[in-house]
Parts: sequence; C-alpha cells; structure tokens
Amino acid sequence: MRRLTLAAVLLLGACSAGPAPSEVVPRNAAAPQPADASTVTVAPSSSAGPAPSCDATASLRPGPLPPAGQMPAGSTMERVLKRGRLIAGVDQNSYLMGFRNSFTGEIEGFDVDVARQIAKAIFGDEKKVQFKVVTAAERIPVLQHGDVDVVVRTMTITCQRLADVDFSQVYYQAGQRVLVRRNSGITGVDSLKDKKVCVATGSTSLGNVVGRAKTTVSVPNWTDCLVMLQQGQTDAISTDDTILAGLAAQDPYTEVVGARFTEEPYGVGIPKGQEDLVRFVNGVLERMRGDGTWSGIYWRWLNRLGPAPAPPVARYRD
Amino acid sequence: MVIDSQPRQALVRRVTGLARSTPGRLSLIVVVLVMASLASGWLTTWSVNRQQQALEDLATRSEPLAHAAQEVYRALQDADATAASAFLSGGLEPPQLRQRYEADIAQAQAALSVATASSPDLTATLAAQLPVYTGLIETARTNNRQGFPVGAAYLREASGLMRTQLLPSAQELYRAETDRVARAQDEASFPWGSVTVALAFVVALVLTQVYLTRKTNRLLNIGLLVATAAAVVSLLWATTVSVLVMRDVAASRSASEKVDVLAQARIATLTARGEETLTLVARGAGQTYEKNFVAVSERLEGLLDRAKQQENSEAVDHAMRHFRQWQQVHQRIREADDAGQYNDAVALIDNPYFDSLDQDLVRAIGKARQDFSDEVAVARAALAGTVVGVLVLAVISAVGSTMGLWQRLKEYR
Repeated sequence: MRRLTLAAVLLLGACSAGPAPSEVVPRNAAAPQPADASTVTVAPSSSAGPAPSCDATASLRPGPLPPAGQMPAGSTMERVLKRGRLIAGVDQNSYLMGFRNSFTGEIEGFDVDVARQIAKAIFGDEKKVQFKVVTAAERIPVLQHGDVDVVVRTMTITCQRLADVDFSQVYYQAGQRVLVRRNSGITGVDSLKDKKVCVATGSTSLGNVVGRAKTTVSVPNWTDCLVMLQQGQTDAISTDDTILAGLAAQDPYTEVVGARFTEEPYGVGIPKGQEDLVRFVNGVLERMRGDGTWSGIYWRWLNRLGPAPAPPVARYRD
Repeated sequence: MVIDSQPRQALVRRVTGLARSTPGRLSLIVVVLVMASLASGWLTTWSVNRQQQALEDLATRSEPLAHAAQEVYRALQDADATAASAFLSGGLEPPQLRQRYEADIAQAQAALSVATASSPDLTATLAAQLPVYTGLIETARTNNRQGFPVGAAYLREASGLMRTQLLPSAQELYRAETDRVARAQDEASFPWGSVTVALAFVVALVLTQVYLTRKTNRLLNIGLLVATAAAVVSLLWATTVSVLVMRDVAASRSASEKVDVLAQARIATLTARGEETLTLVARGAGQTYEKNFVAVSERLEGLLDRAKQQENSEAVDHAMRHFRQWQQVHQRIREADDAGQYNDAVALIDNPYFDSLDQDLVRAIGKARQDFSDEVAVARAALAGTVVGVLVLAVISAVGSTMGLWQRLKEYR
C-alpha cells in the first residue's frame, strides 16, 4: 500500500514541475567614468572651418627690459606691479608642466617656472604670482574676460587662437604623439583606426585626432584620460609629448609610441591688444634663453624627454 | 431552481411566521441583538487592533528606517566632503580626517544594511556602487602618496560617482522611507466605521427598551439596562481612546516634520561644506562650486528659519548663530582666495563653526526624534487594554440583552 502511494506521489511529482530555484541577479555594475566625459564624433567647430592662414609663431620684438619694480608708466606691467601680484592661468593636473605637488600643496612645473620668471621680471620676486587653475577649454575665455594676466599652460599658438588672444614668442616646441599600455600593439597614430582614444576638451590635440581613431572621448583634464586608460575605458591617449611624458611618469605600465605627427609651438597667452605685455614677456623669454635659465628649467622638469634641445629660435614680425 | 428555492421559501415563511407573534418577535430580537453586540465588539476590536498595529509599525519600523535612510545620505555626503578636505590639506592626510572618513563609510554601510531589509530595490545601486566609490578613493590616496596628480583625477571621478549615483539613490531611499512614516500615520486614522456601528447598536438597544415598555407596561428591563450601559461605556471608551490617539498621532506628525526639516538642514550643511572645500581644491576654477555653495546656503538658511518656526529651541538658536559665523568666515575665505592668499584661505577653512552647526543639528534632531517616540508611546499606552475592555463589554451587552428578553419570553410560556 505504502509503495503504491509513493509511486502515485512520484508520478504526480513528475508531472508538476516546481518553480525554478531563485537566482541572485546583481545590479548592472557600470564602471564609473570621469565626470563630464563625452564622446566626440566631429572635430570641434572652431577647427572645422578653414583655418585663417598667418605666420602664427612670429611675435612682437621686445625692447630692452625695464628693471624689476620700475615698470613704464601707464603700461600693463605697471598695473600688475601696483596690484602686487601677477595672476597666471596654469594647470594643476599636468605632471611636469603644471601640477600640484601633493606634499607641499604648491603648484609646480615647467610652465609654472616660466610664469614665475615673468613675475620675477616685474617684481624682482618670483613668488609674487597668484595661480589660477584653468582647464584647457577655459584658457581663451579667462584671457578674454581679463580674469588672468597671462596663461602659461601648454598652449599651442595657432592662427585660430590668434584671432581671440595674443601670444608671446615660442617658449617650447612640442609635438603630438600617442601614449598606450605597454605591449598593446599600437605603434603610433596610424594604428588607432579601430581604437578608442582619449583627449582633453578644448585642446588642439582633439582636432588632430578626431577622425583618425574609431572613437574619441573627451574629458576636462589630461589626468582624467590616464584614469580612463588605467581603468581600461580607452586604448590610447594622444597629445603633446610633454604632457604624455608627465602621464607616463605616473604609470610605468604605459609607453609613448610613434613619431611626432604635429608641431605644437607653446606660447604664453596674453589678452588681445596688450602689445606692451607681449613685448615684455618676449624680453623675459629672450633673457631666459640667453642666461641659461631656460635650460635649467628644462633639466629640472623635462630631462626624461632627452637631453635639453636648443631653446626655440625667436621669430619676430616686429 | 425549483428544488433549490423550496427550503429557502420555507425558512422565510417560518421567520415571517415568528415575527407575527410577540414571543416570536422577541426571540428574533434576542438573536439580532446578540449578533449586533458581538459584531460591534468585533469591529471595534479590529479597528483598535489596526491602530495598534500602525503605531507599533511607526515606532519600531518606519521611523527607524527613515532615520537609517537619512544616516545613509548624511554619512555618504560627509565621507565625500572629508575625502576632498584630506586632499586639500597637502602632504599626508591628517589622521583625524582619515578617521572621520572611515567612520562615515562604516556608518553608511551599517545604516544601509538596516535599510536593505525593507527596500532591497532602492538600496541596490547603493550596495553596488559604495564599494566602487571606496575603491576609487583608495586609488586616489595611493597616487597622492606617490606625488602623482592622477590621484586628484581619481578623487574627482569618485566625487562624480557620489554626486550622480550614490547621493540621488540615498535621497530616493530617504523619500520612500519618510513616505512610509506618513502612510503609517494615516493608518492610525479615526475609526468612523466602528464608532458608527457601536452607536447604531446603542440606538437598537434603546429602541428595544421602548418596544418592551410599550408591550409589557413595565418601565425598565434590568438586563437591557445593563446591556445598554455596557454598550454606551464601550462606545465612549473607543471614541475617547481614538480621539487621544488621533491627537498623539498629529503630534507625532509634527515631530516627524521637524525631524525632516532638521535632517534636510543637516544634509544642506554637509553639502555646503563639500562645495566650500571643492572651491579651494579647484583653485581658481571653482566658480560652479561657489555658486552651489551660495545656493545651498540660502536653502539651509530657509530650513533653519522653518525649524525655528516649528520649535524655538536652544539647539536651533545655536545652529543659526553658528551658521552666521560660518558664513562670515566663508566670506573671508573667498576674499583671501580671490586676493591670491591661497594658503590663508586654506588655513581659514579649518574653523570650528561648521562642526558646531552640525552638532547643534544633531542635538535638535535627537530631541525631535525623542518627541516623536514619546507621542507614539503615549498613543500606544492609551490603546493598551482597550481590546480586552471592548470585548468584555460586548459579551456583557450580549448576555444582558439575552437575559432581559428571556424574562419577558418566559411570561409567554
């Protein structure tokens, strides 16, 4: 009898299937991205139009430098002198060029030393400078609004930008290259066709690389690109060799590959129309070239790019 | 149909036949009264029970959960502000900031595990992303220790994750839990249904008395009198208790409104602090943060004003004073930073007013929560014993009316 019952139960059981055992379904673990990261499909409108042709790197010839603390009356430099400090737009995220020293909290780097030299020429004291951190995209607006006296922030002199701001002579000659993970198989800009590349918003690098990579993502700062590279969200970063050297120094698992495929002459950005300040800054740069200060600063920050090249040759349109 | 309708017709005939004779009518009345008394008793008990249930829910579940949700938000917000401050200090992070951050994360986790039991869906994002957040912070720290600026980028990414995902989820959770408190308070509403039925029962007893007096020429029927008295006592008891409970629930509602305003003020305080710190971290590029600071400060001032209107307590007064002092220091921080005195500005941010304001709000919230808990406890005490009392009275009513009518019925034998 019991066997019969058991058989009946088994038979019934075979017919009616129980519910499937429950599963724990995880919430989709979306990887975090740097704030304000966005995908770029077309080059920014400013560089899309036909670039005005000009002799971009020819600047204004400097006169003799006035002694520190005695600026010509009515000049832009005198206004800065009276204020008591130079206001310089710099970066705090580009290692070696302009970055925050996390031990002291001070901002340092090649660009920062150039700004300090300008302050030294005005005040005789290189500490009389207030640094305002600006992103790549903010460089031209802060100059136009007069928020800063100068911008020394890996800023490439272009004809496009010359329409909005003035530039000093070239103080550093950089060129665009590519940073990748070691052994990634990427050998330069030409092997980016099926890859994702990261660049900073508002940089000349953006226009140079859009269209040469499968996807281009733009972020506010270059270190945001390094975060994306480390988190596997981008395959490469492409920008000036100076900035790339700074990024590579923070991650031994990366390397800079390929040859320079652009020329990026850096100039000190100055508000449009302040010719006296342009000539003054050019005078400061000439002096830096002449007395070895330029080479000293290069050695201090950029020696990992190789032995100090000759400083850029000044070109003037008078 | 024919077969089916036969017995029903027979029953109807028997009942109408009974109702035609006086003893039959009396027997019917007994049945109806007993049933009505028990029904009314049961209904009152049920509604009292429901109120009790709602109050218990309020005291032991909804309010603690709402508090836990608020703690999740607060701890996360504080952790983010503290991480930014630690970065700002330069050099190695001060140990007290690191401890504060660790305490915040532990607190957020503990509060989150309390809230998870009741709202697993709402806490899913928090549970999934909090470890990601802490991972990013640790990566930022590691890079910072090596002097790499990429540390700041990790900090920004972490902060972005906090602002776009974790805090909105925590906010949603908090809203859901406070809504639940409001719903539990609605549950403990005035029991119109059971009071109406109890009143109808009293009227039925009085009508029976009148009918009996007319039929038997005897003025009073003791059994019915006892039954009526019991029904009236039961009605008064249930009504009084309900009114008391309503008053306490209303008081608890205003207490939880106070908690809500103060909790929002506390969150606004922490948000403003975060924005203030980030303005300095951004170092000249922080106009958005400063704008946010001004907006959040205005909201905070409004919330403190509202808290003062709700209850003019000492803690709220202190909070307002510390808020004003903080705003003054903030003014000086902005002036110093705008004038290029960055290090002075950073030194000024280490002032006691923000912490004092936070402590004042903690005290005020603690007091408002105690008020809430007291009101609910009083309401629960009022309800205690009501169920038993109402049931006993219902039985007395049933027995009284049966005995009263039984006497009359005996006279017809």
